Amino acid sequence: MNVLLLALGGGIGAIARYLVGLAMMKRYLDPPFPVAMLVVNLIGSFGLGAFFGGYFQEIPLGAYEDPLFLTVGIGFFGAFTTYSTFSVEASMLLKAKQWRKLSLYIGFSIIGSILFFLLGFSMLVAFTS
Amino acid sequence: MNNTYKNILAIGVGGAIGTFLRYFFNVLTLELGYPLGTIIENLGGSLLLGFLTAWFIVFIPREWIKVGLGVGLCGGFTTMSTFAADSIFLYSRTPIDAIFYIVLSLFGGILFALGGYLVATRLATKTRQKMEGGR
Repeated sequence: MNVLLLALGGGIGAIARYLVGLAMMKRYLDPPFPVAMLVVNLIGSFGLGAFFGGYFQEIPLGAYEDPLFLTVGIGFFGAFTTYSTFSVEASMLLKAKQWRKLSLYIGFSIIGSILFFLLGFSMLVAFTS
Repeated sequence: MNNTYKNILAIGVGGAIGTFLRYFFNVLTLELGYPLGTIIENLGGSLLLGFLTAWFIVFIPREWIKVGLGVGLCGGFTTMSTFAADSIFLYSRTPIDAIFYIVLSLFGGILFALGGYLVATRLATKTRQKMEGGR
């Protein structure tokens, strides 16, 4: 049952990523670097941080018995954000020797996702304690 | 069925399968107390998406197959939010572990994606030549 909920959360997360990505690409036709998946990853990292902060008040590494952890954390936010597209887009910038775009994209994605996670986490820990 | 709905359905199914596989590797490596599962998923998914990206340039598939495998399966199998959570978790315990984890994910992901892309480019070109030569 839990595994079904997890898969459902993942399916919805992937669809939401696709729709937000499409909307972003329509809005920013010529971005300075691949911005659609960056925005998705920042929102999703903030969301996972907020969920962990509000629900667990800590970063649970092994809450695999908790249905909400599976559905929302691993399922929805896990699938809403993506790493493979980040890697492929970064490797294409590397291949094209677009150093400025590459460093901006890597910096904003990696540092940004970690900071947005931390921001969501700290905010919700502060609200709920 | 309308093409947009077909694409969205394929992404949903691919995302669900990718998420289940990610869960499987997470549980498999849970005992380690180190997020090796996330590394396997993010590097493996980057390799596969790199491969598919190049393959689909030569052999253009139907749109729902392309988005189902790329956006759905690879996208659902890999994750940036758990990567961020893992990094903070490791940093709070042993900072050097977090730095190692970030560097491995970053360089590994890009190298695997590029590797998959280059291998698929060669393989697809060769396969295409063989098919055309056979005619």
